[in-house]
Amino acid sequence: MKKVLALVLAAMMLVGCMSFASADGEKIKLVVWSFTNELQGMIEKYYLPNHPELEIEFQIYPTDGHAYQDKVDNLLGSNATSDEAPDIFTLEAAFVKHYVEMDWTGDLKSIGFTDEELSTAFPVMAQIGQNAAGVQKGLSWQSTPGVLMYRASLAEKYLGITSPEEFQAKVADWDAFLETAEELKEKSEGACKMVTGSGDIWNAYQYQRSEGWVVDGKLVIDDELLDYEELCKTLEQDDLSQKGGAWQEIWFAGMRGENETLCYFLPTWGLHYTLKPNCVAGWDAENPDSEENIKNATENGTYGDWRLVDGPVAYSWGGTWMGINAAKAATADDAKKAAMHDLIYNFSLNEDWLVQYAKDSGDFVGSAKAVETILANGGTPNPFLGGQDHYAIFANAAALANGSLMSEYDSDINDLWDKYVTQPYTKGEKGLDECLQDFKDQVKATITTITVE
Amino acid sequence: MQAASGKKRKSVSYSHWGYIFIAPFFITFLIFQLYPIFFTFRTSLTDAVTWQKILNNKIIGFENFRQLFDPSSLVYGMFWGSLKNTIIIWFFNFVPQLGLALILASWFTDARMRLKAQGFFKVTIFMPNIITAATIGMLFMSLFAYPMGPVNTFMQTSGIGNMPIEYFRSVAWARGLISFIQWWMWCGNTMIIMIAGISGINPSLFEAALVDGCSSRQTFWKITLPLIKPILVYNLITSLVGGLTMFDIPHMMTQGQPDNTTNTVARFIYTQGFTGSNNFNMASAASVVLFGIIIIGSLLIRFLLNDREPRPVKLHREEKK
Repeated sequence: MKKVLALVLAAMMLVGCMSFASADGEKIKLVVWSFTNELQGMIEKYYLPNHPELEIEFQIYPTDGHAYQDKVDNLLGSNATSDEAPDIFTLEAAFVKHYVEMDWTGDLKSIGFTDEELSTAFPVMAQIGQNAAGVQKGLSWQSTPGVLMYRASLAEKYLGITSPEEFQAKVADWDAFLETAEELKEKSEGACKMVTGSGDIWNAYQYQRSEGWVVDGKLVIDDELLDYEELCKTLEQDDLSQKGGAWQEIWFAGMRGENETLCYFLPTWGLHYTLKPNCVAGWDAENPDSEENIKNATENGTYGDWRLVDGPVAYSWGGTWMGINAAKAATADDAKKAAMHDLIYNFSLNEDWLVQYAKDSGDFVGSAKAVETILANGGTPNPFLGGQDHYAIFANAAALANGSLMSEYDSDINDLWDKYVTQPYTKGEKGLDECLQDFKDQVKATITTITVE
Repeated sequence: MQAASGKKRKSVSYSHWGYIFIAPFFITFLIFQLYPIFFTFRTSLTDAVTWQKILNNKIIGFENFRQLFDPSSLVYGMFWGSLKNTIIIWFFNFVPQLGLALILASWFTDARMRLKAQGFFKVTIFMPNIITAATIGMLFMSLFAYPMGPVNTFMQTSGIGNMPIEYFRSVAWARGLISFIQWWMWCGNTMIIMIAGISGINPSLFEAALVDGCSSRQTFWKITLPLIKPILVYNLITSLVGGLTMFDIPHMMTQGQPDNTTNTVARFIYTQGFTGSNNFNMASAASVVLFGIIIIGSLLIRFLLNDREPRPVKLHREEKK
């Protein structure tokens, strides 16, 4: 027993000495939490080499189910100032709104951000990082505007369209979109469909609303949503869509050109990480840029056949925000506050760095000013898009999308809307009034903190 | 005095070692099961909505239970509807499961049949039980995908059907598939338990039956079945508990759709507690009601099926003189 005690004491002394040693070095210690190693990789590669005064402790908790949120809730809710609690933590699109509404996520101005700095972010990403009162609590290094991607060969074959500008006129709003779908059915004799299914359109269409789901604590069903239902029902009942859903086999089959699907609604990451690797069966993920791979993808797949247009509405889909722990920021000294500000600023708004990063990674960055510079420097012609510049189209969507529609209830309510209205109504199982009543009942029963009329 | 103490049976008690050996289990049980159960009971009486209120809530009495039992409230239909779904899905899984498991078990143990390659068949039948339910849910979801998936493609190319069928929008198919998966997964498990039960029967009984000229059928009904009754009861009760708390397959595969016809009680509890505004109070109340239903169901099965077992006799070690 004595031996054990002695050992424990010795170990404690050792640890004590070590922590004193690091305090002597006068390094500023920051704790950063995230759910992927993306931010850690960026910080280690670009930031730490120039900032020897920083000591950063990374913690990665994958988002499996609720694991990351549970960790954050647990620590920030009960023991926010402890050493292991994060100074900076990242937030995903699915739950960013939940956390910016929480008091424990800090105001970025409290660590020195100014209005002038914040104004250079794309409005849509900035809006999603704000709480209902307009306090900026999250900033993102990317922005994820969404566009309409279509296959040029099919558009030319059936509609006689040869340029993206002409195609944009065909899908300028949802009425035009539906007319084009009908024209396509007629001219292709039903072989070519406009889109895979209703789930594909939703991510874009929800940005058509003038109000979000919850206004002043009350559930709002925007009139545009009823138009969405009519559009989806027509697409389904008149055989204008493949009647499938996003992420299903039929969705990927259309990307490979195994069925004729003209349009996909995808954001920035969808172009690089979803459409491109799925443009041919047997895409070589190890050497995506090898000659053989591109030859195979061009001959047997749809490489080079895709074009981007703005589509009926500008929207955003996804993203990762950086937020700060309010309790720790409040007790931090000026040097630490400055370090936190500098780190977040560098990765979200620092134009020089973002231009460099965009060049290295091909990511679409979060600062409008950086994007302007990239476009001014000649843009990014993309062989996958037949030489079209994706940056120019994405920049347009990023500038226009309205992020103020998003709320902390979105993921739940979107899910209920799809299950209880879109699915049964578009498949003709129930009438619209009955569907709306089911939907309201479900919202009322699951989200008891808002009013449903 | 001396005579009296000499008559008194002296015994050496080893029971305190028993308590020490079972202590680790009971300590774990107290912390990770009994405490959460009491916490659930308590939460069911509170206004604990949202994460912030999970610890700082106040007791509001039986309001949550009132809602669960009041036909005019919103959750009434959702809760009892989900219980109905659960029972339907469980019934169509359990009846064929028990039937087939019994037939297989009696074949595998039948001395007259002497089936070859028994080990292979047992392993094959047991195999689905090894895979996690979530994986199987995903597997069937992609197998029966609409409008393009292996099953639909097969049906169309083989000429059995000309239009793709949307399996997960049809009530019968959706419920049927869940029942089928549950049956397919658990049949092997039930069979193994049955085989163990039958193997435990004294072989001389079967031999006597053989000598007396019993047919296989008679042996099964008159000897095997009555003697494995305790095993049957055990199986029924565990299956009832497992069936009423069914969650993973419906959650992965159908999300309770179409029109809530595959929404099970456990999914109702999940959506109340872990989606939307996190209504932990309602989720706890529903759990308590489900707890009650399971207890009543288990007791019912026990009383209907079980013969009274003889009480175990307490044995004392006699001290040698």
